[in-house]
Amino acid sequence: MAHSSFSVRSQTLIGVGALGVAGALIYGALSIASDAGYAGVGPNFLPWLVAVALLACGAGLLWEARRGGFRQLEQPSGAERGDWRAMAWVSAGVLANAALLTTLGFVLSCALCFALAVRGLRASEGRPAGGPRQTLLDAVTGLLIAAPVFWLFTKLLAINLPGLTASGWL
Amino acid sequence: MLDTWHHLLGGFLTAATPINLLWAFVGCALGTAIGVLPGLGPAVTVAMLLPITAQVEPTASMIFFAGIYYGAMYGGSTTSILLNTPGETGTMVTALEGFKMARHGRAGAALATSAIGSFVAGTVATVLVTLFAPLVAEFAVKLGPPEYFCMMLLAFATVSAVLGQSTLRGLTALFLGLAAGLIGMDQISGQVRYTGGIPEFMDGIEVVLIAVGLFAVGEVLYNALYEGRSPADLNTLNRVHMTGEEWRRSWPAWLRGTLLGFPFGTIPAGGSEIPTFLSYATEKKLSRHREEFGTVGAIEGVAGPEAANNSAVTATLVPLLTLGIPTSVTAAILLSALQNYGIQAGPQLFETSSGLVWALIASLYIGNVMLLILNLPLVGLWVKLLKIPRAQLYAGILIFATVGVYGMRQSSFDLFVMYGIGLLGVMMRRFDFPVAPVIVGMILGPLAEAQMRNALSIGEGRWSVFIERPMSATLLAILALVLVLPRVLKWRASRRARGEEAVAAR
Repeated sequence: MAHSSFSVRSQTLIGVGALGVAGALIYGALSIASDAGYAGVGPNFLPWLVAVALLACGAGLLWEARRGGFRQLEQPSGAERGDWRAMAWVSAGVLANAALLTTLGFVLSCALCFALAVRGLRASEGRPAGGPRQTLLDAVTGLLIAAPVFWLFTKLLAINLPGLTASGWL
Repeated sequence: MLDTWHHLLGGFLTAATPINLLWAFVGCALGTAIGVLPGLGPAVTVAMLLPITAQVEPTASMIFFAGIYYGAMYGGSTTSILLNTPGETGTMVTALEGFKMARHGRAGAALATSAIGSFVAGTVATVLVTLFAPLVAEFAVKLGPPEYFCMMLLAFATVSAVLGQSTLRGLTALFLGLAAGLIGMDQISGQVRYTGGIPEFMDGIEVVLIAVGLFAVGEVLYNALYEGRSPADLNTLNRVHMTGEEWRRSWPAWLRGTLLGFPFGTIPAGGSEIPTFLSYATEKKLSRHREEFGTVGAIEGVAGPEAANNSAVTATLVPLLTLGIPTSVTAAILLSALQNYGIQAGPQLFETSSGLVWALIASLYIGNVMLLILNLPLVGLWVKLLKIPRAQLYAGILIFATVGVYGMRQSSFDLFVMYGIGLLGVMMRRFDFPVAPVIVGMILGPLAEAQMRNALSIGEGRWSVFIERPMSATLLAILALVLVLPRVLKWRASRRARGEEAVAAR
């Protein structure tokens, strides 16, 4: 089985994706007023330029993908196939953090994110993800990283991060 | 000349206040640490720390960020030598010979020559910055918008089309970056673009978001997906020490590397990759111990590229401070740090913010001394960082990513966007798209647009303004050369190869 980055299907999808972004840019550019400055160069000039250029790039990528694959493609590091279960755990961590940060506060939310992500990363190494004991240990490790970071940035550098309580410590 | 001396002394007075020394020290230490650790680079670290620009005064934070930048170069070589996974792209070449040396029980000598070489190169390059930056600034005052626009075009072209494997993928990345830079309010007319009705997009996308998404979150996701089973073995560290013979072989290489690296840092050629490779090739050619290259490891092959790397990194400050044009990803992020303060990098900087500039330059001298101490006697301390288990390290990076992205704008929405950009980063890495053009395009894009529109109004709407002025015409000619020359060379090489094949076939 060939390396996944050489697959025609995924390369085609990337080409199509670039075309899609270009399409979105064109759609957006239509609604930008053209109150032309000098030489017709108003606020909509660069959007059109970028959109058309990206359209050309997308077409080029698509062409390469269908005609023998991307040119001069260096084989990326790592495994041939992705470990999607590990990826799901890490993604869950990041997304849960995004969703819960303001409700749970920085420290708890980040500890949760850490515990979920570390589980996925460990699984990706082929090690057991761990039972309740390991999970508790991960959560505590997360707390021990997140709490000092929280204090350092909020107390010392006066950066606004959400807390669970108004005490400023959690 | 005397003027420079005065300014520099003033700079030292500012940089040597206890609080600024502390910032420099923390920056250097943090830079070394993230240089040693795989997974984080100076660009993303500075990006994550950009929220502090809201609180810390500009001089202190620029000293801090610069410390991180060149500290990472010192630290990166340690990882290259001991682990063979270069911490930074600039230390890739160091890994070639350094790792071989370490394999053959000479890790200490390799570490010593890279730390001392970095110090020599960093210091010499700082002297060159001190001497040349004011001259360039004086010259740059005379440049107008057309020239600036052409220089930015040149930066775009080199970062996307000339470097990297495929021009097509480089350009795709560049235009993605430019598109990201379009989001928000247009600088000149105030017209709102590409916000899709989402209020969060009104002020544009923060560079922190893109950088942290691509480099930090993307890196963590990529690791979970593909790198779980990649083996990593650590070389053992021995006494950091060089013999007389090793000194004799190192110092010419340091000096050559320094002189080679500096010019490359000042032009938009994508930072330190090219000069380090060139230095490696030079040392290999000149060495009297050529048989050691690629076998037991030649010390020149570590000394030269290391020096070239640090020299190039220091030199990026010249175009950054005098022209406001970043020539590396980290420099681009430093530029956006200045923008956060409302400071316009460019020739006027030496007049309007002369205190900041000279304190920054003075701090480079101080920082290099700090880093020499941090990296020679204390190298064992940093090596311990490599013992942090991979899973915990990468999961921890996510916490810092949250601080950077949320701390910038206090918006959870940004955290979702960050994840999306992380996915993009995984894809780009997997399919060999360069990432630097995205960042450079995003930061430089709006500036280039403004310069272009100003240039056109100077030219009363005629595009010919770009070729009527001698400087901008010259720059356009260089641009054409940069785009065409590599292709011609490649074409000739392939023709020659085909010719030889034909001869061989006969």
